[in-house]
Amino acid sequence: MRTLVRFFVFVGILLFLAFSARAAVTAKYRAYGENVLHVYNWGDYVDPALLERFQEETGIRVVYETFDSNEEMLAKLRQGGTSYDIAVPSDYAIQRLIREGLLLPIDHSRLPNLRHIDPRFLDLPFDPGNRYSVPYFWGTLGIAYRPDRVPIEIQSWWDLWSPELRGQVLLVDGPREVVGIGLQALGYSLNDSDPAHLEEAKALLDSLVPNVKAIVGDEIRVLLAQDEASVGVIWSGDAKSVLEHNESFEYVIPKEGSNIWFDNFVIPKTARNVEGAYKFIDFFLDPEIAAQNAEYVGFATPNRGAFALLPEEVTSDERFYPPEDVLRRLEVYLDLGRDAVARYNELFLEFKMHRK
Amino acid sequence: MDGGRVRRMWEQMGGRLGKAYLVFVFFLLYAPIVYLIAFSFNAGDTMYAWEGFSLDWYRELLHDERLFVIALNTLVIALASSILATGVGTAGALLIGMSEARRRREALLLLNNVLLVSPDVQIGISFLLLFTLAGIALGEGSVLLAHVAFSVPIVVLMVLPQVEKMPKTLLDAAYDLGASHRDVLFRVILPYITPGILAGFFMALTYSFDDFAVTFFVTGGGFSTLPVEIYSRARRGVSLELNALSALLFLLSFAFAFGYYWIQRREMRPRTEVRR
Repeated sequence: MRTLVRFFVFVGILLFLAFSARAAVTAKYRAYGENVLHVYNWGDYVDPALLERFQEETGIRVVYETFDSNEEMLAKLRQGGTSYDIAVPSDYAIQRLIREGLLLPIDHSRLPNLRHIDPRFLDLPFDPGNRYSVPYFWGTLGIAYRPDRVPIEIQSWWDLWSPELRGQVLLVDGPREVVGIGLQALGYSLNDSDPAHLEEAKALLDSLVPNVKAIVGDEIRVLLAQDEASVGVIWSGDAKSVLEHNESFEYVIPKEGSNIWFDNFVIPKTARNVEGAYKFIDFFLDPEIAAQNAEYVGFATPNRGAFALLPEEVTSDERFYPPEDVLRRLEVYLDLGRDAVARYNELFLEFKMHRK
Repeated sequence: MDGGRVRRMWEQMGGRLGKAYLVFVFFLLYAPIVYLIAFSFNAGDTMYAWEGFSLDWYRELLHDERLFVIALNTLVIALASSILATGVGTAGALLIGMSEARRRREALLLLNNVLLVSPDVQIGISFLLLFTLAGIALGEGSVLLAHVAFSVPIVVLMVLPQVEKMPKTLLDAAYDLGASHRDVLFRVILPYITPGILAGFFMALTYSFDDFAVTFFVTGGGFSTLPVEIYSRARRGVSLELNALSALLFLLSFAFAFGYYWIQRREMRPRTEVRR
């Protein structure tokens, strides 16, 4: 018995030590009291220095949590056990959140900096009138490749099928993205849910198999930057980070068009600190802040004021701020409803399995 | 050839083969860890090329305050949940072990073991749904509850054999000598099953320490543990800082294992002596 008592006293002391060490480290947060803002965002999607600055200026402590996919975020928001004050979903996810009544309407009069947003990025089909969301970043899907390693000049989705690229192509692990490639190569819309067209796209994708090296997630950035593959279908912001690490890469938006996406701020219904949420959104709408953030994150800013502040070499780069005629060829993902989403997932899974 | 020589040869060969096999298995188990730890000392920032020795990643780790808080979270949850689970589990094992009705005992044990072999994701989702239904906010409290819950069956499983091994005559003797229920529990039963309780505690500790799936579902409100944090960082491309962290965690696991071994041996020794 004595052994047992002594042992658990020892464990208790350890627990107490760990507890007090944590209290000591987090002591400075206590000054913020209840004034905490829970932000739910993509990984590495904000300049940490700006979060610091926001905390200092407003006295609101930011608790920053991350997710990897819209689906993960949707699941947590639907579940309701957490009380995020801000979330940053993409277009079609916003549409779904609105339809399910999970968001608070945005009071535009409380966001004086909203006027800095380029009108082109407001009033989009997934949230008409921006009643529930405020633009944060936008970008495209395209092809990053090494012109010095690949014997062809890539300009179109069809180029991915060229026999010279055998076993060299990395794809993003997303059903809508990959099935979308097939649809667009065939000249259909990215939001097509006609079963016959989907079937056709799938058959076309099956013939892409010999060229596919792997289907990967966020690590696609590292794999390309480290020359594990010469071609990758990739998001523009990720492409930018690849280009920064490895200058031999080039990024193109295929001439058939591609996906343009928007990540917007929303305030979930479960938010507890709505006041803080407005302050946070307005803070990031400030042109100077938005410009600094855009430089850190690498995606394109929808903020006109920030755009003007960014260095010329960034804003003139048509790969990441495509000109009007390219923009017109880009399509936003719409929420296709449960059945079509299931069909996309199924086809994508079949495609992945077909590979082996 | 006579049978004896064949057998000896066979045994010799088997012995050597056995040893080679053992070496092979341990190599398989430890090679990735060694590789990972080696690269935590890399001066470069990838696992692809060795660019010289440096302690930079450990330095960076030291300055990562968020990670430090998360490491402490993990430790607090692991210690607290294992203490609670050890209490609950030991009581449970005593109730199951002492139960006279064989049917009921087996039924309880079966329920316990089903929980033990249930996939973590399923347990995690179930807890998520339960907490949502009960209106419990996700955060440290929900993680602690979930960890206690999945650790209890392990403790029961570790303590139960000791309870069953305990000769009933020992209890009878104690009662005959005038011991009260209290005395029997604290002076006879608990000392007898101490090795099981300690084993249960350490198993619960390791389970809690490396649990990812359950924690992933029930965490929230800015609270995170190392497995969850490492997972979300790794998705963005593995920084060697994580290698450094893993190296330290590996040392900690070693310390746990040795601690357990040491206590277990000390515990075994007095068992052969006469106890007052």
